[in-house]
Amino acid sequence: MEKLLALTLAGLCGTVSAQTPATNLMPDGSHDMYIGLGAVSAPAYEGARERRRSALPVLQMEWSNGIFVSGLSAGMHLSRQPSMEFGPLLAVQRGRSESGSSRAVGGVEAGSGEFDLVLPAPDLEAKKAQAEVGRLSGMNDIGRRLEAGGFFNYYLTPQLRLTNSLLAGSAKERNGARWNLGVQYIVRPGAHHSLALAAGLTLVNRHYNETYFGVTPEEEMSSGNRAYAPSGGLKDVLLGARWNFAFAPAWILTSALQFARLQASAKDSPLVERPSNLTVSTALAYRF
Amino acid sequence: MSSSRALPLILVLLLAAGRVAAEPGEWVSYRDAYRAMVVFEKYGKPKNLIQNHYQVMPKDRGVPAEGLQLALNSKSLQLKLPLDATGRAVFPLLKTAYDENAELVLNRKISQLVLRPRVSIVVRPDGVYEAAELQAACEQALNYQRFVDASAHAKKCVGVRFAFAGKGELPGVKLRKGDAEQALPVLPGAAFADDPNQAFLTVTYRFAQPAAREQVVTRDAPLAIAALFE
Repeated sequence: MEKLLALTLAGLCGTVSAQTPATNLMPDGSHDMYIGLGAVSAPAYEGARERRRSALPVLQMEWSNGIFVSGLSAGMHLSRQPSMEFGPLLAVQRGRSESGSSRAVGGVEAGSGEFDLVLPAPDLEAKKAQAEVGRLSGMNDIGRRLEAGGFFNYYLTPQLRLTNSLLAGSAKERNGARWNLGVQYIVRPGAHHSLALAAGLTLVNRHYNETYFGVTPEEEMSSGNRAYAPSGGLKDVLLGARWNFAFAPAWILTSALQFARLQASAKDSPLVERPSNLTVSTALAYRF
Repeated sequence: MSSSRALPLILVLLLAAGRVAAEPGEWVSYRDAYRAMVVFEKYGKPKNLIQNHYQVMPKDRGVPAEGLQLALNSKSLQLKLPLDATGRAVFPLLKTAYDENAELVLNRKISQLVLRPRVSIVVRPDGVYEAAELQAACEQALNYQRFVDASAHAKKCVGVRFAFAGKGELPGVKLRKGDAEQALPVLPGAAFADDPNQAFLTVTYRFAQPAAREQVVTRDAPLAIAALFE
């Protein structure tokens, strides 16, 4: 019960990793959905010094057949064992332009993701930011990518969850892959509060790092950044916390803090101005 | 959407949420309780000797359990869920209540309470429990515990605990071996090992090693029988 109640309203490690909400058993034909809006303050792109504040739509849906949507990731729970979760997973990897990374959609549960949102035309803020994100000036745009893979989570105890997700299809040539590993611990300081603490890391292949942290000779000419060909391996380590406050049966205030530090080849990229980044978000969501 | 454009929408949402939050009553989400309780229903291994209830108990010893009331409210349903002396209620698994995002309402501050699924051993109407059957029931409870909590794999069944009302006549519980009968000691304590409410009289029967052909005989029906793991 502790685990299940906590996980309904808890989550973290969600701002860059494509993980999954907990299995949600419900009557046949039923659903459990959250929709809401908040704000997020995050680096303009991974490794940027500049911060960007923007609206954060929140979206999480689960159906009785195990299908879920969290942010702009989607998957299906195939396990019926409470101590284990696994299944296929789809996610949208954020694109990047000279103005930084595209925006996100949040979830409310442990590991719910922040992913691309179909963007409106660039607004004044984006234009202003474009001028400020100097190291991306002259770099080629990277389109959004649909990634496919799977997830496997295991509960050591009802409060302690090990998470895994492996996704492929990112990068310029859609040959990038990333593997998110994490551990999450959920505590309930009050009947309507839950606090989830998490630590994790991301391993990526060379194609992934080349796309998001590399500089080609052509881009060296156009951007002024030195040419850089990173290798694969450890991309970053993450620490996070998410606090959820259910102040009415249908209303939840969900707030998250995530610290990420780029590692190895990614950290040494000439595009990286600051290897350590903090992402803060808060949102109000309605459950129906 | 820029943050400046989103601000009015956020304010409207906050105001709407504030109106909802201002409604009186201590509540928990029926959906959250449902997803915890339905696990037992879906459990496919043997469970004929055990049962699952929704339990509401005071968090601390000083808080009285008497007078606790639990009800289920939704748009089209209003149900009282009677609690027994150990704070357990039969939990209704209702699609209507789930779809209407019902709430479980309590007449006490929820910060003083613990709410959880509670598995116990089924009480026999004749009051005669074969030791082998009690052990089988304990194993069923332990297997279910392992199903929901992987860390329970190292535990093993060591006995059962009968809980009786804390006031009134001392309960009579005897261990019968053939023609010989021996009264088992009665101690004050909690019905379940992790309950804070110690206002019960309890009788503990620990399984013999190796298993013995014996019976536990109760004069009065216990309020609850708990499996003991160590």
